[in-house]
Amino acid sequence: MSTDALLSVANLTASVDEKTILHNVNLNVRAGETHVLMGPNGAGKSTMGHVIMGDPVYTVNEGTITFDGADITELSCDKRSRAGLFLSFQAPVEIPGVPLSSFLRATIAGRPGLEMKGKEFRRRVKELAAQLDMDTAYLNRELGVGFSGGEKKKVEMLQLLLLQPKLAILDETDSGLDVDALSVVSRGMDAYRASCDGSLVIITHNTRILEHLTVDRVHVMVGGRIVREDDASLIPWIDEHGFESFEREAAGTADER
Amino acid sequence: MDALTIKHASAMPAPTWSWLRMNDTKLEIPCDLERVRAVTVEADEALTETHASFEGAVAKLQERLDAERTGLEDTRACVRAAAREAEDLNDLDTPALSAYQLRATRDELANDVAAAFETGIGIDARSYLNFLAGGTVVLATEEGADEAAVVRVAGTAGGAAAASVDVVAAPNSTLDLTVSLDGNGEGSDAAGLIGSELRVFAGPRSHVNVCVYVTADAGFTALDDSGYVLDEGARVTVRHTVLGGAHTATGLAADLRGDTARMDVDTRYLACGEDTRDFNYIIRHHGRKTVSNMDANGVLTGTSKKVLRGTIDLIHGCKGSEGSERETVLLANQGVDNKTVPTILCDEDDVAGNHGATIGHVRPEQLFYLGCRGLSQEAAEALFVTAKLEDAALSAPDEQIRANVVRLGSALVDDFKDFEEELA
Ligand SMILES: Nc1ncnc2c1ncn2[C@@H]1O[C@H](COP(=O)(O)OP(=O)(O)O)[C@@H](O)[C@H]1O
Ligand SMILES: [Mg+2]
Repeated sequence: MSTDALLSVANLTASVDEKTILHNVNLNVRAGETHVLMGPNGAGKSTMGHVIMGDPVYTVNEGTITFDGADITELSCDKRSRAGLFLSFQAPVEIPGVPLSSFLRATIAGRPGLEMKGKEFRRRVKELAAQLDMDTAYLNRELGVGFSGGEKKKVEMLQLLLLQPKLAILDETDSGLDVDALSVVSRGMDAYRASCDGSLVIITHNTRILEHLTVDRVHVMVGGRIVREDDASLIPWIDEHGFESFEREAAGTADER
Repeated sequence: MDALTIKHASAMPAPTWSWLRMNDTKLEIPCDLERVRAVTVEADEALTETHASFEGAVAKLQERLDAERTGLEDTRACVRAAAREAEDLNDLDTPALSAYQLRATRDELANDVAAAFETGIGIDARSYLNFLAGGTVVLATEEGADEAAVVRVAGTAGGAAAASVDVVAAPNSTLDLTVSLDGNGEGSDAAGLIGSELRVFAGPRSHVNVCVYVTADAGFTALDDSGYVLDEGARVTVRHTVLGGAHTATGLAADLRGDTARMDVDTRYLACGEDTRDFNYIIRHHGRKTVSNMDANGVLTGTSKKVLRGTIDLIHGCKGSEGSERETVLLANQGVDNKTVPTILCDEDDVAGNHGATIGHVRPEQLFYLGCRGLSQEAAEALFVTAKLEDAALSAPDEQIRANVVRLGSALVDDFKDFEEELA
């Protein structure tokens, strides 16, 4: 394990309802790095993101999660967020009755360096909305209610830029988007990297979103295990060959046991 | 003043099981409150200098109704049952009526608007509020006029203050009435009481818009009691926004007497800590093609309790009428106690009554999402409260009421002032 890692997941095993989903997973991300987590549907990628963020649905059976020098394995999700972790949801949640702007203001409340007075907040949020081609009318609408898939993802990106976390896990932020929305999302990623040199863990099966990002490390997950780790050259290879060989291999090792 | 208990307040017209404990409520008036005058009325002289009266308007409507009465015999079984002295074993076609049915049928036969008049919380609360108020302000429009009035009850800790208002809207006139029930405890939790007693006669084709804001601090009891009579084609919209107060009771009864009358009620409420909220709505459709809508939207947090009774009574003869009620409640804490009783009474074929309710606890995935953005369980609860208060502030009818909402908001959640600044 590299000691200078910002995020370090060591030997992590996690389950839900007695069913083990992640098996002895390791992941190390240093400050400023961009990692990609790939793998077929149902591999456990979203679960990994949720467990790192502290979703109480999952039980950590074994292993530790260290972030920014502290063991966060037992920390509640709101404290992990305040420590500088961020997870963009594959399926962002709707919260009827709560206007987007009220929600955004609550997310920055009490964060050192981020708290803003009313007017400044409004200006900042409008600026970010413009950057993401988002109609500011959305700010007064109930969070997520009646938003299209693309709009929901833009709202996720807006929060990423507003909160400037030290490390962001983006769970399929690109999937299901049209070309325009896709370019907005990748612009958002660039803006995030440029503004605070934050680290990224990008969960995706679309290699296009990665084209103009400098990727430091690629991890392939199959059946709840990291089966391969390599540099960015793995991306074009996967683009061409898919995950079949990894899946076959994983099935083979499983058979041996 | 001594402690006072008003029993059987806000009663449902047709009771359900007693063990559900929601047929009616018991209102405790805090003791040792001083009766105070704390009511201001902002209205054009044209509205207050009037000879019109609520009773006079009802009597005039009654004359017309009596003249229109047809001599056709009503052969319904319930009518025979209500007319006979005692049950007769030889007459098995005539049913036995419950006490409620008997009263309803007799009221219907009498067709007496003044006798049938009721308010939502009920007669005892009405008497008490009228006593507190001392006198009744009459706001009456001229035919075709377009007027506005504001009634403010500014309660203080240790005091009991109420307004009594009669509205008489002349044919084709419009009146916007705002009622502010504000209880400012000046930072203390000491008891106080504020209230209003409102009777509205909406004349033919008039528009009456009533907006009541209850912005009471933690020690207050608030009673908002009202009764409406709608003549032909009258259109009444009511907005009840109840944001604060330890105990609040809101009651509204409406008699849609004239054909094509329409009533829309929009209720928004918030309850925090150990607050109790009681709502009793009774809308009776007498006229043909009358329409009513009740829409409630609330947030409950802490260990607050809420009861909402909504009764739509589609009375025999109200052909082509439609009544509907809908409620959305967000339960932001496992400790809240939420009760909703939608009731549709119907003795007419050619009508429609609808009700729907969406009652939801904050779901785990919503809490996790908020947690991922740094909000603890407490912060999440505060967000729901804030959102409700912000919405109320944004739609406040005037600056003074908005300031009351902001004062209340600042007492309930941190940083509420930021919102005000953001708006500026
Ligand atoms: N909350 C849950 N309850 C039950 N099963 C779950 C839950 N979360 C994930 N799983 C299961 O874990 C496996 C991995 O899911 P997921 O992490 O969503 O995969 P991926 O994101 O790689 O497509 C799937 O079989 C899924 O059904
Ligand atoms: Mg997934």
